[in-house]
Amino acid sequence: MDGTVIAIWLLRLLFLAGLYLFLWNVVRVLLRDLRAAAQEPGIELGRLVVLSSPTGEPEIGATFSLDAVTTLGRNVNASIVLDDEFVSNLHAALTYRGRIWYLEDLGSTNGSYVNGSAVEGIAPLVFGDELQFGNVRLRLERTHR
Amino acid sequence: MTLRDLAVGRGHRGPLGRRREFGLLLVVAVTLVAGSASLRAGSASLGASGGAGLPGGSAGASPGAMWLADPVALAWFIGGLFSAHLILVLSRRRTDQVLLPTVGFLGGISLLLMERLPQDLVGGLGLGRTQLVWLLLSIGLVAGIGAIVRSDAWLRLYKYSWAAVGIGLLLLTFLFGHDVNGQRLTLSIGPLSGQPSELIKIILVVFLAAYLSENRPLLIEESTRVGPLRLPPLPYLAPMIAMWAIALAVVIVQRDLGAAFLFFAVFLLLLYVATARTSFVVLGFLAFVAGGVVLYQLVPHVRIRVDIWLDPFATASGTGYQVVQALHAFARGGLLGTGFGAGLPLVGGVLPIPALHTDFPFAALGEELGLVGILGILGLYLVVIERGFRIAASAADDFRALLATGLSLIIGVQAFIIAAGNLKLIPLTGITLPFISYGGSSLVTSGVVIGLLIALSDRGPELPAAGNRQERPRVREGLEAPA
Repeated sequence: MDGTVIAIWLLRLLFLAGLYLFLWNVVRVLLRDLRAAAQEPGIELGRLVVLSSPTGEPEIGATFSLDAVTTLGRNVNASIVLDDEFVSNLHAALTYRGRIWYLEDLGSTNGSYVNGSAVEGIAPLVFGDELQFGNVRLRLERTHR
Repeated sequence: MTLRDLAVGRGHRGPLGRRREFGLLLVVAVTLVAGSASLRAGSASLGASGGAGLPGGSAGASPGAMWLADPVALAWFIGGLFSAHLILVLSRRRTDQVLLPTVGFLGGISLLLMERLPQDLVGGLGLGRTQLVWLLLSIGLVAGIGAIVRSDAWLRLYKYSWAAVGIGLLLLTFLFGHDVNGQRLTLSIGPLSGQPSELIKIILVVFLAAYLSENRPLLIEESTRVGPLRLPPLPYLAPMIAMWAIALAVVIVQRDLGAAFLFFAVFLLLLYVATARTSFVVLGFLAFVAGGVVLYQLVPHVRIRVDIWLDPFATASGTGYQVVQALHAFARGGLLGTGFGAGLPLVGGVLPIPALHTDFPFAALGEELGLVGILGILGLYLVVIERGFRIAASAADDFRALLATGLSLIIGVQAFIIAAGNLKLIPLTGITLPFISYGGSSLVTSGVVIGLLIALSDRGPELPAAGNRQERPRVREGLEAPA
């Protein structure tokens, strides 16, 4: 009978130990993930992913990390060069102010589009929006992953 | 070769083992086997003194006492967990590896608890076996949704349709549902019956995430001033408040206070996460206090609940009976608990807490696993929330981030409400403890939530469809032609 009592105690403690062993293992995984995230180079404000680009410059699938002020255009002085004949020299600018990205059309010939609708002046963006300049389509994404 | 193939190909470097998940599942399996043996031994040692009748039969301390309680059910459950793991491995996605073992652990604890309670609490297969079926379905949903769902467009684009479906479900329940325990929550269609208010949680979060992510800049930027408080522009707030108010009103009419509280908390927290405005929290809290006072005055149901909370011992043999018994259960449990199967002897042939399997599983676990055990279980819920927030922080766009936040809040807030209610920290409201309480609707909903979280955690650079293109068809012909 004594043996049974001891066995029951051991089983009970074994269950609790298993619960905490599981938690300990999980916490190790979580800490590793957190450290990996912390070691990534600085928090970027956002990035653009190229969805389609008929001329191949920029390449489809390429990503550009964005500064607080980023200009786009055909001119080599633009932060992001879009080599497309429908893109103006200085086509548009992306600015990050107060936790929000804004798209400003800089008087381009063919206009700038957000999710298929033309931007007049300045427009607030959300992550996941699709931007189009000439034939180049890009998507704004959050980078901190 | 499409862009997505490229992206996925680049994301998948090397073999995809999901070794972490496998390792964690092994710990879960071993612990559950130990728990099952402990349950059998515990209830066997209790013997004829009135222990819960196990399906395997446990008369006296026979030599068979050192075996598992209902090994078949346990084998099915652990088999189900590893099958789910296999499905996720075969899906070849880089998704979260912690969530499945964590909810598997919670489900396993639920299975042990339900096997241990009197089986005739529900008809049909009996409590343990019915719960096993629902648990397997829930785990299947976790794996299935986690493996299959890739695009979130079907959630994001049809947010108003989802809202309509949700409100429709609530109204249907109100009109055609039948009452269980004074709450009109159950809707039966033919042989199927369920509690639609469980599914509404997900629908509410999907709607709020879609709406907030689309209008976030406007909500942050512009504001309406009311006294010292800066509110977001009312026209943009209106649809959300309408959705929330309708859900809340119907829920209150149905007297499902726990769900009402949950909706309110999730709504407020998501609004805060989307806008980072402290004024919302202040305003929401004030509204909550005001609403609480009004409800206390007007609704007798609420008054009873609050009075029980303030002093359960005043009505210890009446309305406060369950809460008092739950407090005694926690006290009996102490630090390490009485052990599985050894707690809660039947009082006069019935359970001291009638709604133990749905509303008070936390008290039962507090008795049998002790403070150490329930702290561990709360730790498991914390892990779910941490994973959810992590998935949200690494999401590529606002909708996914808000959706992941909201989904993990559903699980977290719900666990808090019922655990705190069991402990008399807040007034008790009838709501389920995710993955532990008995009940098909709750388990299915929780399974969908975790499945969606796993799907959202996909780290392959996947490209979801763009926001609201079809809402604004505009001049694109000139640009589309060469493309």
